[in-house]
Amino acid sequence: MSEPDDQDPEPLRAAARELVDIAITIHDVAARATSALTDGALLRALPHGLPAAGPAYRALLRATTNSRGLGHALTGGRLATLAAKAAAMMGAESLAVRVLATSLRLRVAAVALSHPELAADPMLTRLIDAAAADRDLEAVRALRALLKDRGAVRALSQLAPVFGEVLALRALLDENPLNDATAWLIATGKGFATADPITGMSNRAIAALDSGEGAARRVELTVAESGLLCRRGSLLGFLGNIAAIGTGGRVLIQSVRGPDGVVRHVVQAPGMRGGRPDLDSPQDLLGAFSSAVLASSPYSRALAKAVADYGLPQGAEVALIGHSAGGAAIMNLAQDPAFCARHTLTHVVAVGAPVDFKRTADPRTWVASVTNQHDLIPTLDGQGAGTVFDLHPGWYVVDYTDPTHLFPLCHSVEHYLANLSDDLPEARAHIDARLTAFRGPVLRSQAYLLSDRPAAPEGFPFLTVPTHPVDGPGRAVELPIRCHDGSALTAYFAADFEAAARLVEGTGLGPAVGVRGRALVAVHAAWNRHTSVGGYREVQAGIVVPGPSRPHPLSVWPDLLRPADRRRSGTLLVGSAVDSALVRALAPRLWGGQTVMTAAHVLLGARSAHVSAGQVLTLRGRLGPGLPVRDPDLVGYTCEAGGALRSCVRTRGQARLHLAPRMRLSVEQHPHHRLAVRLRELGLDGARPLLCLSAGIRQTRRDNAVPVPLA
Amino acid sequence: MSADVTAISAHADTLHADACALAACAERLRAVEAALEAGGAAPAWLRASVEYHVGACASAAADLETASRRLRRWADQASPPARSG
Repeated sequence: MSEPDDQDPEPLRAAARELVDIAITIHDVAARATSALTDGALLRALPHGLPAAGPAYRALLRATTNSRGLGHALTGGRLATLAAKAAAMMGAESLAVRVLATSLRLRVAAVALSHPELAADPMLTRLIDAAAADRDLEAVRALRALLKDRGAVRALSQLAPVFGEVLALRALLDENPLNDATAWLIATGKGFATADPITGMSNRAIAALDSGEGAARRVELTVAESGLLCRRGSLLGFLGNIAAIGTGGRVLIQSVRGPDGVVRHVVQAPGMRGGRPDLDSPQDLLGAFSSAVLASSPYSRALAKAVADYGLPQGAEVALIGHSAGGAAIMNLAQDPAFCARHTLTHVVAVGAPVDFKRTADPRTWVASVTNQHDLIPTLDGQGAGTVFDLHPGWYVVDYTDPTHLFPLCHSVEHYLANLSDDLPEARAHIDARLTAFRGPVLRSQAYLLSDRPAAPEGFPFLTVPTHPVDGPGRAVELPIRCHDGSALTAYFAADFEAAARLVEGTGLGPAVGVRGRALVAVHAAWNRHTSVGGYREVQAGIVVPGPSRPHPLSVWPDLLRPADRRRSGTLLVGSAVDSALVRALAPRLWGGQTVMTAAHVLLGARSAHVSAGQVLTLRGRLGPGLPVRDPDLVGYTCEAGGALRSCVRTRGQARLHLAPRMRLSVEQHPHHRLAVRLRELGLDGARPLLCLSAGIRQTRRDNAVPVPLA
Repeated sequence: MSADVTAISAHADTLHADACALAACAERLRAVEAALEAGGAAPAWLRASVEYHVGACASAAADLETASRRLRRWADQASPPARSG
């Protein structure tokens, strides 16, 4: 599983280290020569016109720019740095850079001894040679050919063991001056890659996009997930836990009773979650990046919050286990002096994580790093399989290779688990031996959901409104009804105008709004999944009317788009149904009229919808393409003796306007069901909607209906 | 002016020492190559690279030595003449 011993790579590594040292010496010499050239004392003495001054200056200039000597070696100081960058853009290199490039080539040669596939593959060899020889065009062609032949995944996977070296070679020798510092850091092992080795874009600038003080809240695992958690502490058990809780933004803390009877605690942190960057989770792409690049990240700060909430006794012994970004995050926690002062951090195990430049605050903390040489993620800090520096003599480092060369497969925690279980028994046994104090029965497990920053109060600010109690059936109920999570479909039909006119007649709200000689009727269905009165579904139908002030018919259409508090038009409800006894009891207060209780279903997908209300109606079919629009408020009217009730549903969310829905409404023949009777009167049985509005996720507020005097 | 002379002299000394350091680098480079060759571990391209670097080190050392010598001459010219008697 580990390195084959056919040929010892150590002499090549030692030579590469020696060349790094030589390159640094040359670089320091160049810096001192530049310092002489730009020294103010010399510049002040120059105008005195002594005959030896000019030749001396010319000699200094030659020493720092002679392409056959130190090369273009201006370095140190703002002016010299600018001149050096200008020279780099023209392809000029220094001797120090050339020696460093040779060191990198020796590193590649050393890795090739352990990975014969690198040297045996002509396409990889072509790419590496071109990068080392500063043949840009050839390097690009070689990379293209490799990508075309192998695909991006296989190409990167095969390059992985020398990925850092190839990138550093390119960066050292290319004409981009912005990536030189990063290349120097990678090649000399002096620090974390401060910039993208290709573009030179600052890593810290990108990582700074991931902000937040970090937050953690307790969450319960499902029964199935809980069943997968280990019952006794062990390396494989903890990694199995990380696999079980997945990359959904959660971490796990467990308490175990050690063989000595002492209760200790283990923080287990998974890697990056998929999806677009900068979700609210610190486990997103940006979070992974910032955890690797920065000493403190939202992920590590959120982890600290989770540990604080868990309630560890002062000085309790803690082990941290992390995979991928989780590995970088736990190392950030380990290098936090405040955390290490509160707790006794005894062990850190980072698996598949870029942690080469992390340091523990407590030197007594034992650290293990496990990395697969074909896994690209641990190389993000610039040091991979080809590194020749022993950055952590006290760490237990397992840098291995296995036959699976495919990234990201070899990065998954499941793959590391399998390797540690089956292929790396000695490493597993060693780490388990060091974790002996944590190898006992699990006494407590608590999962946490992490976020970049504390979540706002639920529904804030839309649902943070004054409430007032009203009598409900058997208990007081708060109004408005606040729906935190719902979805809705409103379908607009062209109905029989005469029938609509008869229903509107005498209400003082009409006439019905017409469209091509027919009346516009809305059928609205909502599934209010999580509300202040529980979940319920509702179906309502109404004729679109201008409202009590009788505006000009043409002004109704723009009025329909206004927020509820500025809208006069609405729908004259002809019937409604709900599946909640409580809401039905409140309905006369909320929107008036008669509301029937019936089973209802509102299933709304991205492309289709299915609405049914007991023995009343079914509306189903394809929604068709939709344009994004703001989910509009709803205004409804019901007629009461001597006036009307105006009810509003204030909404917050995005909706889609479907201009060509392929749906059909079926209305049951139910002579005693008001809504069914009215819809059939309107001629809507079998009708197709003109257009639909769908809102997959929305919040709503529904308060008492308000009496409206009619003229 | 005496401060400037001191600075010029100091740079001359530094450059001389650095010329020697580069000469030592050339020797170290040769030693690296020789060790790898002896162990049969040297890549085919290494000799040419090392020879190039050794030549550059020698050339750079000569440049620095020249600069050092000229700076010293400059410092001598800039020094106030010693008073006699």
